[in-house]
Amino acid sequence: MAVAIAAARVWRLNRGLSQAALLLLRQPGARGLARSHPPRQQQQFSSLDDKPQFPGASAEFIDKLEFIQPNVISGIPIYRVMDRQGQIINPSEDPHLPKEKVLKLYKSMTLLNTMDRILYESQRQGRISFYMTNYGEEGTHVGSAAALDNTDLVFGQYREAGVLMYRDYPLELFMAQCYGNISDLGKGRQMPVHYGCKERHFVTISSPLATQIPQAARGPGYGIMSIRVDGNDVFAVYNATKEARRRAVAENQPFLIEAMTYRIGHHSTSDDSSAYRSVDEVNYWDKQDHPISRLRHYLLSQGWWDEEQEKAWRKQSRRKVMEAFEQAERKPKPNPNLLFSDVYQEMPAQLRKQQESLARHLQTYGEHYPLDHFDK
Amino acid sequence: MAVVAAAAGWLLRLRAAGAEGHWRRLPGAGLARGFLHPAATVEDAAQRRQVAHFTFQPDPEPREYGQTQKMNLFQSVTSALDNSLAKDPTAVIFGEDVAFGGVFRCTVGLRDKYGKDRVFNTPLCEQGIVGFGIGIAVTGATAIAEIQFADYIFPAFDQIVNEAAKYRYRSGDLFNCGSLTIRSPWGCVGHGALYHSQSPEAFFAHCPGIKVVIPRSPFQAKGLLLSCIEDKNPCIFFEPKILYRAAAEEVPIEPYNIPLSQAEVIQEGSDVTLVAWGTQVHVIREVASMAKEKLGVSCEVIDLRTIIPWDVDTICKSVIKTGRLLISHEAPLTGGFASEISSTVQKLCRIEDYPFYKRGKQTKKSKLLGQAQWLTPVIPALWEAEEECFLNLEAPISRVCGYDTPFPHIFEPFYIPDKWKCYDALRKMINY
Repeated sequence: MAVAIAAARVWRLNRGLSQAALLLLRQPGARGLARSHPPRQQQQFSSLDDKPQFPGASAEFIDKLEFIQPNVISGIPIYRVMDRQGQIINPSEDPHLPKEKVLKLYKSMTLLNTMDRILYESQRQGRISFYMTNYGEEGTHVGSAAALDNTDLVFGQYREAGVLMYRDYPLELFMAQCYGNISDLGKGRQMPVHYGCKERHFVTISSPLATQIPQAARGPGYGIMSIRVDGNDVFAVYNATKEARRRAVAENQPFLIEAMTYRIGHHSTSDDSSAYRSVDEVNYWDKQDHPISRLRHYLLSQGWWDEEQEKAWRKQSRRKVMEAFEQAERKPKPNPNLLFSDVYQEMPAQLRKQQESLARHLQTYGEHYPLDHFDK
Repeated sequence: MAVVAAAAGWLLRLRAAGAEGHWRRLPGAGLARGFLHPAATVEDAAQRRQVAHFTFQPDPEPREYGQTQKMNLFQSVTSALDNSLAKDPTAVIFGEDVAFGGVFRCTVGLRDKYGKDRVFNTPLCEQGIVGFGIGIAVTGATAIAEIQFADYIFPAFDQIVNEAAKYRYRSGDLFNCGSLTIRSPWGCVGHGALYHSQSPEAFFAHCPGIKVVIPRSPFQAKGLLLSCIEDKNPCIFFEPKILYRAAAEEVPIEPYNIPLSQAEVIQEGSDVTLVAWGTQVHVIREVASMAKEKLGVSCEVIDLRTIIPWDVDTICKSVIKTGRLLISHEAPLTGGFASEISSTVQKLCRIEDYPFYKRGKQTKKSKLLGQAQWLTPVIPALWEAEEECFLNLEAPISRVCGYDTPFPHIFEPFYIPDKWKCYDALRKMINY
């Protein structure tokens, strides 16, 4: 089907695409499209036409042997609202967000950035075991979070903490999870940055990208309405998410937003990305096309922000992060019994036996274990 | 492509049986053709298609759950699903081809009865089926997913092992997908070969956080499936496909539950314990009769029912009583679930683990307690003098399983752990 659509676009451009789109919408879908359509067996079948009769195909026949080059088809265009200097390009696309909301976007991104710097350092100092920064991708997180309702369920991956930040997840809980201390809602079970919050409707992050991969592939190829946006443009992400959400709810069909961005930081504290990419490339994105800078230019041009507020906020956010950080470090870790609970809703008999055997083992060999740091 | 062709093959045969799906109209159609009805006119034994390697033994009519109806295995599954969708408005059923009734007729009539929003097809994508199921279970819906053959569950293995099983644990119980149940046809069927015969329970046994359940009969299937659907943990329910039509018995119309993680002693005995699950239970039942008749041996037959978390106590207590254990499954020997049972049983039954039973010679103490010779309940205080109270197996534990090969086609009669292989292993254990 992907080939059919690609072929249609090469030879028929817009018409082919809309034909393909029409056909895709007519596919009986698992999610039950709102519009009714006849079941496949009853579609008009005219063998008099010389067109291809393959079910679901929208292409035409060709009698010239030609292979499709993979990169010849023009890419899906990238929607944006601001240019790299934070100026609105097309005023009709300006979402005209109120000052408080734009400031919240800005402060969420910068607080996340500050927390990232401090926690990355803390890993380097051996205080936490691991960390992943969000540098460069903050715009995708907060732009989409701002466009959703606070009760919309978000399934995040490990580099989407900005959604939680926007939803006012307390620094104390970010830190608790990274330290795996007694306040961690996740009970110390996962590596740092695997946050989750039921109240804020953010499903706990997991390491595998499994849930994302099938959907991250080309939306049109899967028959899903799709758009590509400039992920470093907070307003573009906001607009696209807002509209996609509205239509997804109204039309009961999925929407795919491909937010183009650039990961400025290393993959994690275990990675040195200079091994596989040029420092110049990284600098370009850091200096010339950063979501935080672009939004700051916008704020400045609106007169909603200035250098003094910037300095004050940097100081304040750093202080808040440091306070939370020091507190988190002092707290004990959870009781080792929490190693065994929540595998199932109820603890199976065999697992209880294993729990008891650890307790007995610690009675004899406890001195070899860091029991002092753990809750009794 | 081969998958589609194979599924299409099943489908075409089913379509031939009529859209309303009355199997009895075309007795030779579908799965039953050939192997349940040996070719009548062919003299040559070599050409005769295989007869079934087991005889289904129905259980006595259940009386405690109200009115019953004769149902085969797929009908009992339909009944369970019908009950579920009736009482739980969030329950939905989805998978490949479930809308028209399913390639094994398990969902016949449900889409008409409950609507297209509750019984719907998915694309051919097992990862997506389970991933989608996890997603809606997280939001609170009761998700009943079907994987068309257990052989095709592997693209969903990551979703099951890394996501479903770990959801509750990794979130500190903030989130869970306990309302997910995955159903899948399982086990040998006479001609299924590599990709329509597998029994993958051992792969999942190694995964804490999920439950794996396998019924031996229609009555068991309905009660166990309802328990899986209502259980607050993600469950995999494997349905022995060879029993879909071959097994029929009286099954209650109303919903009822059979508890998970409880093995069932379906026949008591004193000399050897036989353990199996699914279709193989009927094989070992027959082996028990053969043993009684030919060797005068009394067998205790146990249906494990839940693979994980499994009922260690029932098996161990039985083996303490009999001193001999034979476990049998179609899945390959190496790493098969029999190895887990075998390891656990031979290690357990030390006084710390089971302080209440000891098998051995009658002692003055046990006489005082008035117990049978070979089974002595123990009050710990009386034990000082009898330190060597660990399990005394009369013979090494026996495992009769498939060979360590993929499941072959034409060689199926040689591959499967049939009653002769089980009987032979039992005989050797008795004579050990």
